[in-house]
Amino acid sequence: MTDEQSHTESAAGLSFKMGEALLKNGAEIFRVQETMERVARAYGIEEYDVYVLSNAIFANAVENGERVETKLKYIPGSTIHFARVAGINQLSREIAHGNVGITEAYARLREITEIPYTHPLTLVAACGIGSACFSYLFGGSVWDAAAAFLCGTVLQLFLNQIDRRTASKFITNLASSAVVALCAVLLFSLGLGGSLDKIIIGSIIRLVPGVALTTSIRDFLNGDYLSGTIRMIDAFLIGGCIAIGVGAVVMIYFSITGGVPQL
Amino acid sequence: MTLSVLLDWTIQTVIAFVATIAFSIIFHSPKNQYIFAGFTGAFGWLIYIVHMHFWSDAVFASFFAALGLTYMSRIFSFARKAPVTIFLISGIFPIVPGAGIYYTGYHIFMNENAQALSVGMETIKIAIAIALGIGIVVSLPRFFFTLRKAEKKGRTS
Repeated sequence: MTDEQSHTESAAGLSFKMGEALLKNGAEIFRVQETMERVARAYGIEEYDVYVLSNAIFANAVENGERVETKLKYIPGSTIHFARVAGINQLSREIAHGNVGITEAYARLREITEIPYTHPLTLVAACGIGSACFSYLFGGSVWDAAAAFLCGTVLQLFLNQIDRRTASKFITNLASSAVVALCAVLLFSLGLGGSLDKIIIGSIIRLVPGVALTTSIRDFLNGDYLSGTIRMIDAFLIGGCIAIGVGAVVMIYFSITGGVPQL
Repeated sequence: MTLSVLLDWTIQTVIAFVATIAFSIIFHSPKNQYIFAGFTGAFGWLIYIVHMHFWSDAVFASFFAALGLTYMSRIFSFARKAPVTIFLISGIFPIVPGAGIYYTGYHIFMNENAQALSVGMETIKIAIAIALGIGIVVSLPRFFFTLRKAEKKGRTS
């Protein structure tokens, strides 16, 4: 709180906070950098150098030939929250048009960063429905979709629990894909659903590194090769973890039942 | 035959629409953009299944689907004054190779190395195809997406 007070009127501080909030909520590097520079320009900072990585921001502001502020900040793993990204994007555009004072901008930024997360139970429902839909799209029957719905809800309940304890990414992905596979195997052996693989494919979509892949591509295209590489490695590791988590459970299942793996 | 195919496409598109909205909720998108993200995902999936129906080549189908849905998300981005990411990331999920990841892991654990390699390569090819599709459309200048003259400054991309 004291940190916030001391920068209440500083444009460089505002710009930095906006960049930080963007990066935390899953914006791509280019957007973070551009937003920070745009805000600084709008408030008349002559020299403003920003360097953004996928998990850190470095910024240096020069005003009246005098260095006013240098900031470095390490920003660890982000949770996606697009409503905040969209809000900050809108705010920065209004700042660039020059209709927002610094104090007002600070107030609005605080409002945006306090947009709440969706209710955990809504997430559970969304994940279940999404899993069911994907299971159907990838060729599953209606019963496979029903099984995927249950697996999806279990998965999101599990993820809700795990987020609070900030476990490592590897363990999270390994464990949650194993949970999905376990749940699918259980439902399948109880007789719900016709093909195990369609159930599993539908329900692991929630874990699949679509965000990391897409953001990485966009970083590469904007010339942010370092951040793009970091996120690409992230995508591959997540993919690998899912493959291992699911594969292990399915293998154990087949070796217990001795059933012929049918695909 | 053709009628049943068309019906199947319609159903699948609607389901892709719902699935994409579910993912928009998971990523906490702004509520007033849900429907547009849904359209993006449904459009991408429609391209994918139509291509798969005629040529059944997942790599090219993913490429064209990525092209189409990135185009759509840029149009929405300008029309709805929101970052492309909101539409693009939710919309891309139907074509992300989740099945490929699963089958690769499956074959590795079943000790079927040849199949694991071939499915793994296919998965990587699909990922590259998606990357290319996104890349091409994202690099197009903005007048492809908006009918108005380009504004003086402040790119949205």
